[in-house]
Amino acid sequence: MSDQAIGFQFSTPAQQREASTLGMWAFLATEVLFFGALIAAYFNYRIWFGADFIAAASLTKVALGTANTAVLLTSSACMAMAVTSFEAGSRRAPVLWLLATAALGLVFIGIKATEYWLEYQEHLVPALNFDLARYGGTAEIFFVFYFCATGLHALHLLIGISLVSWLAWRIGSGRINRYGSTARLIGLYWHFVDVVWIFLFPLIYLAGRSG
Amino acid sequence: MLLLTATTASAFVPLGSLNIVVSLSIAVAKALVVLLFFMELRASRALVRTFAAAGFFWLLIMIVLTGADYWHRTDARAPIDRVF
Repeated sequence: MSDQAIGFQFSTPAQQREASTLGMWAFLATEVLFFGALIAAYFNYRIWFGADFIAAASLTKVALGTANTAVLLTSSACMAMAVTSFEAGSRRAPVLWLLATAALGLVFIGIKATEYWLEYQEHLVPALNFDLARYGGTAEIFFVFYFCATGLHALHLLIGISLVSWLAWRIGSGRINRYGSTARLIGLYWHFVDVVWIFLFPLIYLAGRSG
Repeated sequence: MLLLTATTASAFVPLGSLNIVVSLSIAVAKALVVLLFFMELRASRALVRTFAAAGFFWLLIMIVLTGADYWHRTDARAPIDRVF
């Protein structure tokens, strides 16, 4: 383990690992608040506008949303497998797991794009072709939230897919030290993007489905 | 295992009623979150867990304090603004 370089400010590799983990969690805390502001706005609207706002949620495509949730959960499992197998010393297995993770991420993006396309067809896109007369102003507010939140999430997912692909390439070419933190931190980021979706999913898709 | 919880989450709601929907769906979401953290935080030191908890704690503050104001606003005027 002494053949890897550690920063001069650290005394042991374990300390460097823990410091990098703490730093990553500090960053993720800021991301939680980043998305949290949107979710706080959602709660505000939900309480202000009540039934109309919730009714607009039933216009979303719950089947596609559920599929997307399943896709992301599976991708998180693949990511966890990738990090575990990499730190256990393997080199081929993590690359395959990482490629599976990235592929599932792209599947999510594909399903999301289909949803956006369907919503465009149904005149549900605010500022583009939203049908105010048919759906009402409150529904438009809901869809502003929907596109902002899922768009922001999709952006983070694209960043995650790029990171995962880069990591797969680096591990494949043997240029990452398995006692370092890179793989684990990218894993944390991916899990975080999944957690965000886990919270967005019920707020967007599962509201207003009763009665 | 994970997929099962996802599908049950979406299956419950169309049969739900009123605000039980909210608590049910968020409770399930939290369970999923905990599952994910079994992959990360279960094996971490307390300091790491504190960092992780901090983010959600601040989020809670933001939602609760914003709500305390916004959700109780009415159209009634304050005594000093009353028109006679």
